[in-house]
Amino acid sequence: MGTAASYSRSVKCLSRSSARSSRVYYSPIAALLALLVVTASIGAPRALAQIELSWSPSMVKGPPGAPVTIVEFSDYQ
Amino acid sequence: MLEEYAGRVRLVFKDRPLAMHTLARAAHEAARCAGAQGKYWPYHDRLFAVQPAFRRADLVGYARELGLDRDEFARCLDERRFAADVERDIAQAQALGINSTPTFLINGRLVIGASSIEEFRSIIDKALQERR
Repeated sequence: MGTAASYSRSVKCLSRSSARSSRVYYSPIAALLALLVVTASIGAPRALAQIELSWSPSMVKGPPGAPVTIVEFSDYQ
Repeated sequence: MLEEYAGRVRLVFKDRPLAMHTLARAAHEAARCAGAQGKYWPYHDRLFAVQPAFRRADLVGYARELGLDRDEFARCLDERRFAADVERDIAQAQALGINSTPTFLINGRLVIGASSIEEFRSIIDKALQERR
């Protein structure tokens, strides 16, 4: 079923310098949602937040297998 | 930008209407209603072009102009079919500490604010190299 891509990468606020690891997985959920799990360190340096990002296929541009995924959080107003 | 990296970059749009933008919530829900009829991106582009003209009549009007089924779109909007989905996006953004827009995650790297094209290019190129 799903291709699972996982890699080590730092997810960090630009103002922070210490590297942290994160894993990102992609998988189809009920053929409707893609799921992105970001293990990000937000706030306290040791506090790991694991965030699951889901999205509707209609809100994606570009091929599923693209090596780079840009997630844009934006406001229409 | 996406055309420049055709096939190598995909873009995911996440709803992050800010609380102070009282008209935004309906607009985000409306875009998803357009998506349900296969026109998410054209509607998305229209919203950015006309902001902040987001009264109900405006939102329905854009749907009609884009050739969507007007009645179906209006029902979707009035029933707030995608309210929970927009809410979920907001919750995910908040969990990541994202409180301003636009904010980007480029292969997990947080980019806050509208950066220059050059800056995006540099981050994308780096991400592509790291994936080789």
